[in-house]
Amino acid sequence: MAAPDIAKLIYRNVKVNIDPGTLIILIGLPAMYLVFFGFGFGAMIPGGGATEYLTFLTPGIMSFQCVMAGTVGGGMLWADRRWGMLAQLLVGPFTRLQYLLGIMFTSLLFGLAGAFVMLVGAFLIIGSLQVTIWGALGGFAVIAVGSIFFGSLMLLLSALVKSNNAYNSIQILLIFVVNFASTVFYSYNSTLPLPIQALFQVNPLTYVANAVRGLFSGALPADSAWQLPLLVVETIVLLILATRVYVRSDISFV
Amino acid sequence: MIAAENLRHSYDGKNFAIDGITLQVSKGEIFGLLGKNGAGKTTLIKAFTTLIRPTSGSLDILGLDPNHSGKEIRRRIGVVQQGESFDFATVEGNFDIYGILWSVPKKERQQRRDDLIKAFGLTDVRKKRAFDLSGGQKRRVQVARELMHDMDILFLDEPTTGLDVIMRRELLDSIKERARKGLTVVFTTHNLEEADYLCDRVAVIDKGRILAMDTVENLKRLYGGKRTVELTLAGGDSEAFFGALEERLDGSEVRSEGNSAIILTEDPKEVLRRIMELSQSSGVQMEWLNVRKNTLEDVFIGSITKSEQD
Repeated sequence: MAAPDIAKLIYRNVKVNIDPGTLIILIGLPAMYLVFFGFGFGAMIPGGGATEYLTFLTPGIMSFQCVMAGTVGGGMLWADRRWGMLAQLLVGPFTRLQYLLGIMFTSLLFGLAGAFVMLVGAFLIIGSLQVTIWGALGGFAVIAVGSIFFGSLMLLLSALVKSNNAYNSIQILLIFVVNFASTVFYSYNSTLPLPIQALFQVNPLTYVANAVRGLFSGALPADSAWQLPLLVVETIVLLILATRVYVRSDISFV
Repeated sequence: MIAAENLRHSYDGKNFAIDGITLQVSKGEIFGLLGKNGAGKTTLIKAFTTLIRPTSGSLDILGLDPNHSGKEIRRRIGVVQQGESFDFATVEGNFDIYGILWSVPKKERQQRRDDLIKAFGLTDVRKKRAFDLSGGQKRRVQVARELMHDMDILFLDEPTTGLDVIMRRELLDSIKERARKGLTVVFTTHNLEEADYLCDRVAVIDKGRILAMDTVENLKRLYGGKRTVELTLAGGDSEAFFGALEERLDGSEVRSEGNSAIILTEDPKEVLRRIMELSQSSGVQMEWLNVRKNTLEDVFIGSITKSEQD
């Protein structure tokens, strides 16, 4: 029996995107954040702070995989456009929607796999991690939603931005802002300048990181009661928007 | 297999890349689309392969409407596009991935891959990344890869670009062989010799319109007679010479450029006699004088020139 069309596209996406460059972006960069920031900032905390900070940082870095997975998804669309495979696949036995969902699910897989590698890496560094099976499963579920959100965002960007340079610049800026104006590396606090506080509050990565950290520690924070439903709604809206814009866009076939 | 009726498409809502194309292609036919760069050939292929939805007109591919059955059509066609298209993988990796995308069973996939790699002379580079190959090798990979799956119609957009003479002839023969077995082929090219060699029928396209469409032999007969007289002057006033010649050749068209001209005629003997007379009376010497059969190039140039004059 032939595999479903989307499964074939996911297989193809995984096969052609497991290259050193992608792995460095997907695993290497977050792993370096985990090690350098974990030990660097941790050392500034007196009395065994490194372990304590690494325990705090691990769910944050796992959440950060959503953004990296989204970036890889956007990169897949750009690469397919650049190397002619987009047009080639679209004259194959697939619909545009299937192609888009293929990329989306591949991003999701990469996000979850990256988060798992970070979890294992943190366990090896710290020596122990106090997390229940349900806490971990819940955390991965939130990361899955976050991966779809950022995957949709990057695909929307890919469909709308026509120049490769512009796309790369926007992507770098977006990663920086989303990453550092979130609770991935540090907690939200009211001493931050007001514009940065606002960024923290509207940043979906904050919602993901808060929820994953809460689930790992055994209790969701109170803010997750509104942040998680909002994240789900935003993800659905963005997914629909990305799909519509992409399917209707006159993709240029270089 | 393909029926287009008054097909038009505009990318910007103002200019039409294809403008009123009407044609039919039958099963097992090799149909050539000839035209200059920007004539509308690739846009027409894009419409046939469901990549673009034509602005107006009707289109039927394999008895299906592309507006409603795009995926079903794409399952039954193969497309070799003009530009490069590769996955970031080795040559055989590209074949394997393509086979999987087209649901070719594993054993058959491996067999086809190996056969195609051998047939297209890619054995030495099968482990190399497709991006690292030369232009001709890349083109061979693209064409061969498309043959990993079965199809009813094969669209080839300038497939021989970058191929050497031997590989080009082998590819054309391989297409002919497949057409004999029932495959329908739509083929675009700049190379009129290969269109002449390969195609059952051709359409000459310019500015999105069909200027001429028939079998190659009929077109050669219809456009400008049965013979072409080629003439190059050694010096003198070529404009005056060709003007005077045209006056003397009632009914034969003289197409001149610089000090050279071609004359399409049904009576080459009479044309030669007139040229010699004029040369003697005007004192203009000739460097080259030749009579040959019409080629598809004469048809092509003739139809494009006629269109521009109109």
